Amino acid sequence: MSWCKNVKGVLLDITGVLFESGASEPIKGSVEAIKRLKDSKIPVRFCTNETTKTRQKLLQKLHSIGFSMTEGDVFPPIPACCQILKSRGLRPHLVVNPDALSDFIEVNQENPNCVVLGDATDNFSYQNLNKAFQLLMSLETPVLFALGGGKYYKEGSDLTLDVGPFAKALEYACDVEAEIVGKPSKSFFGAVLLDLGQPPDSVVMIGDDIVNDVGGAQSCGMRGVQVRTGKYRPSDENHPTVKADGYVDNLAQAIDLILQS
Amino acid sequence: MLLLKRCIKFGSLKTNKCIRTMSGSKIKTVLIDLSGTIHIDDQEIHNSKDSLKRLRSQNVNVKYVTNTTKESKKCLLNKLNGIGFDIKPSEIFTSLTAARELIEKIGLRPLMIVDDRALEDFEGIQTDNPNAVLIGLAPDKFNYKTMNTAFRLIQDGCPLIAIHKARYYKKTDELALGPGPFVTALEYATDTTSHIVGKPEASFFLSSVEEFNCQPEECVMIGDDVRDDIGGAQKTGMLGILVRTGNTDVIQAWDAYLPTVTICRGFPPWWLPN
Repeated sequence: MSWCKNVKGVLLDITGVLFESGASEPIKGSVEAIKRLKDSKIPVRFCTNETTKTRQKLLQKLHSIGFSMTEGDVFPPIPACCQILKSRGLRPHLVVNPDALSDFIEVNQENPNCVVLGDATDNFSYQNLNKAFQLLMSLETPVLFALGGGKYYKEGSDLTLDVGPFAKALEYACDVEAEIVGKPSKSFFGAVLLDLGQPPDSVVMIGDDIVNDVGGAQSCGMRGVQVRTGKYRPSDENHPTVKADGYVDNLAQAIDLILQS
Repeated sequence: MLLLKRCIKFGSLKTNKCIRTMSGSKIKTVLIDLSGTIHIDDQEIHNSKDSLKRLRSQNVNVKYVTNTTKESKKCLLNKLNGIGFDIKPSEIFTSLTAARELIEKIGLRPLMIVDDRALEDFEGIQTDNPNAVLIGLAPDKFNYKTMNTAFRLIQDGCPLIAIHKARYYKKTDELALGPGPFVTALEYATDTTSHIVGKPEASFFLSSVEEFNCQPEECVMIGDDVRDDIGGAQKTGMLGILVRTGNTDVIQAWDAYLPTVTICRGFPPWWLPN
């Protein structure tokens, strides 16, 4: 297995890798695996497309189930998006989860001139999407941001729609292309790599999403490894466009392989 | 003049009691779009009642074809006959009719994401333990929970049937999302392609004339949507006449269909007999 040789940095997805969405305990072995990784001095960062809660709430949840990462180790899309909005003078109309709203508090939202779509779950109503559609159609240059490009994730025992399909719906309706902030966007991975301080070809990304984690990392020059937890489905191993550098049963197995090499 | 020569023109009816195209072939069936072509809301367009009366006196089949996803055939008939048209149930073929035909043909039990007003067109269709997903325009039903139910069914291999895939539609004073974006969302999430039953699908036009036993070249479609009415009909070999009412984007029409389309200011009275 060549994917686990000479690894100088590790990027980890959170949901479906550290814990299953909706569960209140970590995936078996993952807390200890991250401890071993930290002890080995290989730097690690957490890249998540989680937008159903604030970064603070996500950290609280992780700490409550035994993880000890700090805020600076975790890269969700919302802080990155807020930076982009500010630098381009954009005022968003938000279609996001109510629990994530407070992460946008410092962004001017009056008289909106763009739409930001997050994993809004129950807020993905016809009325809310229609409002976003009407705003986009009224703009001379419609700008649509999608916080991640995921198609679905696993919630409890069911697969559940993620933000990606709803972004596609608005793209189709308004004939625009969404700018993705989050995985698999290259600039998102690029910012995390910069913080990690390692060149992409010595970094492994481990996630449960064959397209956004594995494919996204590979197109940035990293190695991409899929865990057989979270939203993993056996058909992912025969995916038509993405072939992972490795498949592992869970995070613990991946870390063991990296540390043994 | 070149345009006129190439597009269809109907010959005099005084001499031969049938409508012909310029090339001389006989027109047996006339398909007519409803909204934007013969009426807008509760207003008749440009003498269309009178034109239809004269058309009826000819030896041609007439079928009204429409992409409704909200209104049952009965709703439509009530509305049209309320405006003063004289249209029989058997003369209307809607995208809901086409959907029902398909569902019955394959024996599907669809999860219906369809407006309640349209449900009466599906009376008697089994929906327990669904093995398909049917989507129309149903603002009240496009919510996260229903979309997830549909997603899981399709993910498990159930076919996705779309009544049509319009991006949006015009309400009195604003645009509103059509069913197309929601169909697209499910297609993307599941890596599948939907089966569309309404205009501009070829199967829609062919099914609408099936009972008349005529060839596509013997049919003409009159409508206000260059892509869904004219383009769709022409692809099957039918002729297309675009009316410059309702939806018509004339510039787009001229660009896309210059060689074959006829554009008229209203419901075309000029090809009917005096």
